[in-house]
Amino acid sequence: MPLAITVTSRATPLSPPNGASRLSKDFDDGVAGANAKLVAHGGGTCQFYNPVTHGLTGADVTPASAGEITWNGFPRKFLGTAPGGAADFAGAEPTLTSGHSRNQDEYLEWHVTRNGSGKITSVEFTCEGYDYYEFLGREAADILLGLYQKFISPAVRHADLFTGAQYQKLNRWNTADGAMHLTQQANNLFAEVILAAEATVRRRDAVGREVTAAIPLTKCSQFGDARRNSDPTIGSGVNGFARQGRMITLANPVGLYIDHLDDAGFRLPGDLPVDGWFQILRGTPAHTLRAVFAPPRGAAFTVSDVTIGGIPIKFGGQIAQNITMRLTGVASVANNVQNTPIPCEGAGGAVHTAIAVAASRLPTRGAS
Amino acid sequence: MPRAKSVARKKLVSEPLLDVHEIQGNILAGFNKDHQRLVGLRIRGVAEARKWLARILPHVSSLAEVYQFNALFRLRRSRLGRDPVCLVASWMNIAFSRDGLAQLTSDSDAAALPDAAFQIGLTKDRADLLGDPTPGGETDPTARWVIGGTNHPVDILMILASDDKTRLDSLVVQLRPAPMDGLSAPEIIWEEQGETRTDLPGHEHFGFKDGVSQPGVRGLISRRPRIYLTPRLLKAPGTGEIAFAKPGQPLIWPGQFVLGYPFGDRDGAMQPAPPLGRAWFKNGSFLVFRRLEQNVAGFSAFLKAEADRLSKTAGFPGISAEHLGALFVGRWPSGAPVSRTPGGDNPDLAADSLSNNDFLFTEDTPPPVFLPGVGVTAGTFPRAMEGSKGPVCPHAAHIFKVNPRDSATNLGPDFDTLTRRILRRGIPFGTPLTSLEDDGASRGLHFLSYQASIVDQFEILQQNWANNTGAPTSGGNDLIIGQTKTAARTMDLPSLVPSQGGEKISAPVEWVKPTGGGYFFAPSIGAIRGVLAVG
Repeated sequence: MPLAITVTSRATPLSPPNGASRLSKDFDDGVAGANAKLVAHGGGTCQFYNPVTHGLTGADVTPASAGEITWNGFPRKFLGTAPGGAADFAGAEPTLTSGHSRNQDEYLEWHVTRNGSGKITSVEFTCEGYDYYEFLGREAADILLGLYQKFISPAVRHADLFTGAQYQKLNRWNTADGAMHLTQQANNLFAEVILAAEATVRRRDAVGREVTAAIPLTKCSQFGDARRNSDPTIGSGVNGFARQGRMITLANPVGLYIDHLDDAGFRLPGDLPVDGWFQILRGTPAHTLRAVFAPPRGAAFTVSDVTIGGIPIKFGGQIAQNITMRLTGVASVANNVQNTPIPCEGAGGAVHTAIAVAASRLPTRGAS
Repeated sequence: MPRAKSVARKKLVSEPLLDVHEIQGNILAGFNKDHQRLVGLRIRGVAEARKWLARILPHVSSLAEVYQFNALFRLRRSRLGRDPVCLVASWMNIAFSRDGLAQLTSDSDAAALPDAAFQIGLTKDRADLLGDPTPGGETDPTARWVIGGTNHPVDILMILASDDKTRLDSLVVQLRPAPMDGLSAPEIIWEEQGETRTDLPGHEHFGFKDGVSQPGVRGLISRRPRIYLTPRLLKAPGTGEIAFAKPGQPLIWPGQFVLGYPFGDRDGAMQPAPPLGRAWFKNGSFLVFRRLEQNVAGFSAFLKAEADRLSKTAGFPGISAEHLGALFVGRWPSGAPVSRTPGGDNPDLAADSLSNNDFLFTEDTPPPVFLPGVGVTAGTFPRAMEGSKGPVCPHAAHIFKVNPRDSATNLGPDFDTLTRRILRRGIPFGTPLTSLEDDGASRGLHFLSYQASIVDQFEILQQNWANNTGAPTSGGNDLIIGQTKTAARTMDLPSLVPSQGGEKISAPVEWVKPTGGGYFFAPSIGAIRGVLAVG
């Protein structure tokens, strides 16, 4: 029985067929891309499939192994280099203005709100891809506006979000004054599907050995950014399933999710716990799309009063460092497909990642 | 040709010469003694503490001394075929808490040490971060600790060790503060003896061989003759691959364990030594001490009950308590890795040091390629074939959680994992439990680890990985050392029968409980001589 694909933000009143159709096409593009690479090197069975259209029956399509792939939400590039080196929290969340995307590239972005005294009053996290919101902008502008008014501010107006009929993803409410959805160029759902698809292609190096380690595989396949926590980990996990001869797709509902916040060591003055401070705003506990870390109503403290392991919170990134992100792959039983590894893309020089390609293929007509 | 010669020479000197007379011996060489005493001290008078330090300074064992003895010990053992019982050495090393250092130097000196966890110390905030339990409902997890924490802070930790128990007793008497050091000499607030188990040497109290896997530290003991701290047995790998000294032992730059040396970054590139806030920090290392009490009877009872339950399921027919324990640990009691012998223990494999740590978690493990002329061969045991079959070793098994090897993790690729490795120097304390019933005695492990960053190494292993169901990869908590405060720990157990589904184990009780500890800095011998002992 094929899986039905629903859009990530299924909590919205958006008509599922439209979103599902778009997402199904993303899967088809992923299959076509992976297939083309196999064909270029003598053929093979594409191990990535669209669960809506594949038509596999029997054990081959049984989700015998669901693989959760996890990664840390704080961008790896802002971590200190030397042992004990401090992370560049300020660099990870500079003051943002309209037209500029955040430089947070682990499919988790956040917005910090401070009061007049400079104390942090809330940190909102989102992991929703911008391509979904651009889709809403084209197909359901009223729903898009409603989401902004509900989650960012009732003051948001249509004119703040659109230039004519065109949705501006880097509008002020998604940059300077909030984080409705992801803005970093590589943080989109299509890229996730393409990455997963291309990671199903087995690779070999110049001397014929199969490439398996995360970073060499990422560079060989050019399916992502080797400097991130997420891309090499996702690619390596998916490719591991492929090497076991499995057919692979992404779990329904397709998306990247906030798995959980580990609040061990989070304390308020007086050694009080932070129970109730991390709230899911959108999605479900199993599929969290949006969350906030903020004092519950009536609390006497701000986020800046919270310490983590004795260190006061000064940046939202300190909380992001304790957030685990998740993507779930679905793989069939092993040893169904035995593809021969194919050579690496290019000759190890120019960065030409699938994500960059994917991003360039998106209908990004918003401000840049 | 001159050019080629120049390149060759450059390669030969690429690893740093270690300051073998400056680095304390337990850090890079390891005491590896059957008897080890920990002594916790409080500074009462700074002048008397300095005077006492000056007295014991010649007894602070150096890397040169410990390395050479260990080499001799190995040489004798290889000829005798057993431990050379007449070859005895006794060692002492010393480390200081942040407060202890501040008293002996200055607050600004202590504050310049580059580790946030060390600066705060292992008191309630960091213990809370580590997930340490609060059995009595206190807000401070350290409230009931027997040593360290909020109520019993330690300024100085002495580690004394010997091959001979009587000589260790003599050494302790000789070196710990005594009346001759003055009325305000450091106060002994706690001491406890660790002992290698006589019934199961090298095993911890749950019955599993401990300390099998240690990283290989790069660096030279001497240039002429060229002697590496860690002997090299394997051919160098291809570009972009991790280098190993022997099968399963990755080579790691010394700056990850000792301050002032080159280190490897998260992408595997060697980086020069970072600048230090004080010159005397060089050759020092951060030390983590945890007194971990083990509930042996509780652990055994859980294994038996859970194995009984699982043995009736389709995925785990007939599984024994020992087998289930092996899946919790990732090794059988002998130390043989589950990945290489999934069906049962194999003491011969465990005894083969070229095989017992030679396995990957994600890939089929290729056979080792030894350097020509090293004169060793690994046993002909079945290779680990994880990549072809899916997980053989559960991803929540203890040895996976604290060292996921080739597996990409939530924090990045396998090179990142190398930056998390620590040097473990633990030893059991208390007598082994000989019955199935709890006898009420305190037993466990004096966990000791050295690293260049407590935050990036030890705390990542405990908090971010062992405690986390979703990290380093998804699969549950480490049921051996993992800690959670809000829910029962769980572990995803892959089925032993390929066509069957796995099981999620739920463990409501933690069998390893921290009852003491501290964060320390083990300075160089020169720093003790030239800074701490003189002010």
